[in-house]
Amino acid sequence: MSADKLRSRDDDPSGRALSPVRKRSLAFFRVTALWEAFLVALGSLRQNKLRTALTLVGIVVGVAAVIAVVTIIQGLDNKVATTFSSQGSTVFSISKRPQIIRSREEFIKFNKRKDVRHEDADAVARLCSACWRVGEAANARETLKHGDQKFENVNIRGVSPTTMFDIDGRAVDAGRVWTDSEGISGREICVVGPDVLTNLFGGASADRVIGQEVRIAGRPFQIIGVLEPLGSIFGASRDSVAYIPYATYQKVYGARDSIVIFIQVPAAQQLEVAEDQVRTIMRNRRGGAFSQEDDEGFSLETQDVFLDLYGKATSNIYLVTIGVAAISLVVGGIVVMNIMLVSVTERTKEIGIRKAIGARRKDILTQFLIEAVMVTAIGGAIGVLTGFGLAYLIAALIGFPLLMSVGSAILGVGVSSVVGIVSGLWPAWRAARLDPIEALRAE
Amino acid sequence: MSDVTLATPPAPDVLPAPTQSTRGHDVNSLISMRDIWKTYQMGSEEVHALHGVSFDIPKGEYIAIIGPSGSGKSTLMNLIGCLDTPSQGEYWLNAKNVSEMDDDELARIRNQEVGFVFQTFNLLARATALHNVELPLIYGGVGSAQRHEMAKQALAAVDLADRVTHRPNELSGGQRQRVAIARALVNHPSILLADEPTGALDTHTSMEIMDLFERLHGEGNTIIVVTHEPDIAARAHRVISIRDGLIEKDEKIR
Ligand SMILES: Nc1ncnc2c1ncn2[C@@H]1O[C@H](COP(=O)(O)OP(=O)(O)OP(=O)(O)O)[C@@H](O)[C@H]1O
Ligand SMILES: [Mg+2]
Repeated sequence: MSADKLRSRDDDPSGRALSPVRKRSLAFFRVTALWEAFLVALGSLRQNKLRTALTLVGIVVGVAAVIAVVTIIQGLDNKVATTFSSQGSTVFSISKRPQIIRSREEFIKFNKRKDVRHEDADAVARLCSACWRVGEAANARETLKHGDQKFENVNIRGVSPTTMFDIDGRAVDAGRVWTDSEGISGREICVVGPDVLTNLFGGASADRVIGQEVRIAGRPFQIIGVLEPLGSIFGASRDSVAYIPYATYQKVYGARDSIVIFIQVPAAQQLEVAEDQVRTIMRNRRGGAFSQEDDEGFSLETQDVFLDLYGKATSNIYLVTIGVAAISLVVGGIVVMNIMLVSVTERTKEIGIRKAIGARRKDILTQFLIEAVMVTAIGGAIGVLTGFGLAYLIAALIGFPLLMSVGSAILGVGVSSVVGIVSGLWPAWRAARLDPIEALRAE
Repeated sequence: MSDVTLATPPAPDVLPAPTQSTRGHDVNSLISMRDIWKTYQMGSEEVHALHGVSFDIPKGEYIAIIGPSGSGKSTLMNLIGCLDTPSQGEYWLNAKNVSEMDDDELARIRNQEVGFVFQTFNLLARATALHNVELPLIYGGVGSAQRHEMAKQALAAVDLADRVTHRPNELSGGQRQRVAIARALVNHPSILLADEPTGALDTHTSMEIMDLFERLHGEGNTIIVVTHEPDIAARAHRVISIRDGLIEKDEKIR
């Protein structure tokens, strides 16, 4: 019987003659149908502007948060990299206390150490063959005065010898640094950062403040030089500084403070050898006694400690941001799903009509998926722009250069499109599975 | 009326009389239904909208299906139009066994083999007349230039060449139904199905639509119309009467 049917179908001439319509390949997607889906989605979004806008909010917030944070941190990364690599990678320091103290116990432990003194710096300078520049420095915070002008919280850096300017990567813009004899004799002279000019001299040019007087801790100091600006980092200006000879610093603040020895090597490759030499020298000076358990009695550090700390801080910020973004994207996705379900219900009749005239399940499915992805992609794009705008504002306020990357823009739109696909899938599937007759009955 | 005609292939010269049997389909028929049942499950109760309907329709016929409300006319039309599948029985369309087809194949049949005209027009409200007519071509994968041409031709064939850019709410009921007919015909289907096409129209407009059907039949189209109105049924060449899901009478009247 069935063989009979097959044969009769094959040699039935009328079957073919009666079917004048071109038999098209059952291509998975039809370009024409996809284009129609695109236009329908566009029309639908345009028609429901308010609804579309509300749908976008979650996605926009999520993407904007990520973009803003990523952009800011990338800008910071860039800044940090250039700041530290300009001099940091060839410099290390010996100090009584490390630059970062994590607990009270640590603080107590480090405080028991012997002070690092000028003699230590001398020994290092004498004995370390791999060391290029050796200097010592101590810091204090002080208010500077000129006439009735005040400039608070200025970093007073007592340094010796003047090679510390090179180790710090600071150059003189006007005037000069002190001579060795001036330094040793502890004269009250200083080299100031450009912020001092803006805050005490009404922005006078560097040349005009040379020879002027400022009061540091109540003592009159003569300005003999002005530094080139270095800008700020993390909102703190590095130009709000006054360098004075270490001998002078001792006169003002006494010799009670432990100093920090800075050592520079010509190139980063020598760093390890120099560190080993300095460590040996310092251990010998401490009597070779590992008296206090595992502590060698001093801290040898490079700028890496800052980079490590910075890395940890930013990765925490990233984590929090990703969390915030994930939550708003999930919420945004749920909103999109909801709106798409409403859209499917509203357009049940339309779906019925389309199916009745030959739309396949995948045609309907793609139509609603395209609509969902279109909403979220637009949301993503707005989010990217908002995020960049936000980052720009914050960067302008804090004052660091921005790094807007195409990669993060693509990622923002990409991720939100994925959210669109995921949240549009279920509504679209429901639309695609609608029974044409039942769908046509809907009003 | 317009002298623009739809390109339909010439009918074969000889149409052999269908061989009636409850088993096996007639190879010469355009439509061959064998012992078709449609059963709806209403809670614990089974509702048989159709129970055991068999008939053959050769190409080129003009058929009216009549019967009281609830007798199963729409159910039958939906089956013929592949909008629905029978619970039981065999349906052969163009020598293809529709009752065994999957969803995509049924969509293709609806797209290319069947033109359906509804009582309530079922046009896309936001689309122009032209776009509505283009829709089957879009899902058939016809490129835009050819599609425009075909849709314009179809609209011209129903005398709406000057209403191409109108949306449904800018058209009269009769004009809307003519757009729907153009849409049904644009893909040159094997068969034109109309379920109470004049049900929402006044008498005058109804007659215009029926004139159009008559002309389309004259041009070689196979047409099945469901109707309540005797004078509309009287225009067909064959009338199938349905009662309680069974064929009560099947007579040639012309
Ligand atoms: N989805 C459904 N679920 C349950 N019963 C249904 C369904 N669709 C149709 N029926 C039943 O099938 C029978 C036939 O319905 P159908 O719509 O075919 O009638 P009809 O002849 O077209 O009537 P009318 O002239 O009023 O349009 C009716 O008794 C109806 O209640
Ligand atoms: Mg009906």
